[in-house]
Amino acid sequence: MTTIRLTVNGEAREAQVDPRTTLLHFLREALHLTGTKESCAEGECGACTVWLDGRTVNACLVFAVEADGREVTTIEGLRSGRARPLIEALAALGGVQCGFCVPGIVMSAAKLLETTPNPTREDVLVGLSGNLCRCTGYQKIIEAILTVAHAPAAAPGGDRS
Amino acid sequence: MNESGLIGQRVLPQDAREKAGGEIRYLPDMAFPGLLVGKVLRSPHPHALVRRIDASKARRVPGVRAVVTRENTPKVHFGIVLKDELPLAHEKVRYVGDEVAAVAAESEEAALEGLAAIEVEYEPLPAVFDLEAAIAEEAPLVHDNAPRNVPGGVHVERGDVETEMARAYRVVEGRYETPMMHQAALEPICCVADWREGTLSLWGPFQSPFLIRQYLLAAPLGLSLSQIRLYQTMVGGAFGGKLDQRHYLVCALLAMEAGRPVRLLNTLEEELIATRPRMAAIIRLRTGWSREGRLLAKQVRILADNGAYTSLSLPILSSMSMRTDSVYRTPCVSVNADLVYTNTCPSGQMRGFGNVQATFAFESHLDEVADVLGIDPVDLRLANATRPGDVSVHGWKMLSCGLSEAITAAAERIGWTEKRGRARRGGGEGPLRRGVGLAGNMHVTSNKPFATSITGYDFDGSAALVRVHEDGRVTVLTGEVDLGEGVTTTLGIIAAEELGVPLDRVRVANVDTEVAPYGLGTYASRVTFMAGNAVRVAAADARRQLLEVAARVLDAPASELDVKDGVISVKGFPHRRLTVAEAAQRGFALGLTNVVGRGEFHSEPGPMDVKAKYGNQTMTYSFACHAAEVEVDVETGRVRVLKVVAAHDLGRVINRLGAEGQIDGGVTQGIGFALVEELIRTDGVIRNPSFLDYKIPSSLDAPPVVEKVFVETIDPAGPHGAKGLAETAINPTAAAVANAIADAIGVRIRSVPITPEKILGALGTLNGGRA
Repeated sequence: MTTIRLTVNGEAREAQVDPRTTLLHFLREALHLTGTKESCAEGECGACTVWLDGRTVNACLVFAVEADGREVTTIEGLRSGRARPLIEALAALGGVQCGFCVPGIVMSAAKLLETTPNPTREDVLVGLSGNLCRCTGYQKIIEAILTVAHAPAAAPGGDRS
Repeated sequence: MNESGLIGQRVLPQDAREKAGGEIRYLPDMAFPGLLVGKVLRSPHPHALVRRIDASKARRVPGVRAVVTRENTPKVHFGIVLKDELPLAHEKVRYVGDEVAAVAAESEEAALEGLAAIEVEYEPLPAVFDLEAAIAEEAPLVHDNAPRNVPGGVHVERGDVETEMARAYRVVEGRYETPMMHQAALEPICCVADWREGTLSLWGPFQSPFLIRQYLLAAPLGLSLSQIRLYQTMVGGAFGGKLDQRHYLVCALLAMEAGRPVRLLNTLEEELIATRPRMAAIIRLRTGWSREGRLLAKQVRILADNGAYTSLSLPILSSMSMRTDSVYRTPCVSVNADLVYTNTCPSGQMRGFGNVQATFAFESHLDEVADVLGIDPVDLRLANATRPGDVSVHGWKMLSCGLSEAITAAAERIGWTEKRGRARRGGGEGPLRRGVGLAGNMHVTSNKPFATSITGYDFDGSAALVRVHEDGRVTVLTGEVDLGEGVTTTLGIIAAEELGVPLDRVRVANVDTEVAPYGLGTYASRVTFMAGNAVRVAAADARRQLLEVAARVLDAPASELDVKDGVISVKGFPHRRLTVAEAAQRGFALGLTNVVGRGEFHSEPGPMDVKAKYGNQTMTYSFACHAAEVEVDVETGRVRVLKVVAAHDLGRVINRLGAEGQIDGGVTQGIGFALVEELIRTDGVIRNPSFLDYKIPSSLDAPPVVEKVFVETIDPAGPHGAKGLAETAINPTAAAVANAIADAIGVRIRSVPITPEKILGALGTLNGGRA
């Protein structure tokens, strides 16, 4: 077992982890942050998207020990703050069906809106291309992200969290 | 009927925010004290005798709490349709992935170590993979009791097909092939089982809790129904894949052996090699036509890949063999379809239930016929389209039918007149060629022969309870399941509308088999129609009870009362009022009633000759036409879908947001089937068991525009006139795309997925090796 110290959603954490434990399992099983979902477990579907030092990663491809000394942000850290407009828009515009992929999509989309404040449709398609969804056909998800991006009240970078 | 205006609006599902924010719990998110991790040992051979299994070392692995093999599990054949499965392999394994043993342990590591310590000696047997080779006399048998590897089929003769063919102006033939396609729900198949004091409890995203309880658990385990309780958890997508799985039984066996709760959660690889994907098929069509373009006769020959066990493949084959015969007027038809065992992953149901394959074949064929006859494909379809009041060649009655309107609308919105045949007229810049194509389709709104074949009862229906709580909240209980598409929102709207309460006061509960009324589950596009009708009746019953209480309290006859926005008042005297909450409370206080409305709906499509497969399958049918515009790069073979128009006769829209979403999702899955998705098999081994290699469409593959047209035929039997939508949303897409590709490049490709290799190959043949 290895000791890691990291910040998760703004809170300092210290934990003993087996070096083989993925960040995804550490978040879900040790910290009970189950908003981050596990689907393919091989970095293809994006359901486990979190931010590591402000960059999106597939938590299934990162070992927990790699997060030592770093900052992790999960859906739980964004859902009442910065990602709220996205969550509201995804719900209101029909971007949520079974919902299993959506927390990961919110994490990718929130990052996209931060780095690309005025995205084109093409930017959104590329930004979402690492997140698979089997229910919605992406149409309403794309619409929701563009709606948030172009709504003045939801301008990214605002201090909403 | 007074409608408050909810019907047809855009209503967001109540739990959408919680799902998006990661607050909703799916099964893998739920904690169970003392939970063990289950893992399954699968066959590495496509066909082999199991000479010896020794699990003694596995039982000694630290942390292992239970091991199940053929030695300590029942040898009971079971299956929803044919009893050709065992809980775990006995004498033989029949495909790579077949369940041989399972382990439950304190950790995943210990479980995997336990699996590795199980010794199994196999004696490999000759295997069959190819459909045409499998039906040869000398082929090895997958199951000894199925000669030529054919456990069943569909053989139907209606009318004198050969005489009609002989007098036809033209006879057109074609051979079409479709692959194994996976449901690929993002949430894997999973469950938790617990055996305690003689009761087996299972939690999981079950597509049909009652069918699973009876046919996949009680029957093989020899338990009574009252000993088994299923709790349905939030479903993270299903598309057919979360109904018939041996998974649940294996988990139950582990829990019973361990005496502790056990969780079984498939890895993606297990999902892709061993969980009953869409059935691959070879479909041969031969049709005879009059000079004016009337369909005179149709001959259908199918070989369908059952895989190693039958699952639901016989009824799927029925659908594949016969359903397109009722989309267009078909005076006579000859069907010969064989289901063929092979040593591959058992196939099963996926959204469309055989109809996706059949529609790809027949609607591709129709465009070829149009070419032969020199008739525009739209005109050909309209000339033959089924119409309201028709009784089809199989005795199906078209209660409402907006097929012609859907075809006309789809053609118009895709720009048919300007765009069709453009490439052939010399249009297209550089390597890019554009084309348009369309395809029609119909689907059932439940499937009575299927239900009857499973249960043995002459029954297809749904039941609902509507309970009004003391605070005026309403809980709707049914035996059906929301797979994520939002049917609980639809049912909530129907209940709220009937009761006169605000929608946010209504919740549709997940199924608990101990509490919910019996239901067949969510398949066959049946829940809006079936459960929608049942919920209406139940809500009307609850309303009647509320009014009975209010009549006493307000001293007015019930007939003079009205309910609106959760308030009951005397007509014309709005101050004489009582809230629904008060009425519910006064119901107890006055000793009148505990308000629980009860509703049932029985589908009565009419007499059915099951053996002859003649008679109405369901009370009404949904129709659709999809039109697609594609752009093909003739140098790379790459296809881009630029636009899809989806015109749907769904009877009536209940929730517009949900209906649009179903169409978007169905179309995108249909594009996956048309262009990329295939479980690639060599010698029974699936070669692409990951999302890296088994591609499902990503955001970059989604068409820029999916335009929806709703043809609202207001069905006389549907709740508020509604029919089903789930499967018509996927059925015609691939055929429309294939027809558009043929329009763009002038070559017909008769197998999906239509990959760049196939396109370049076809163009190479056409142009002497040069594209």
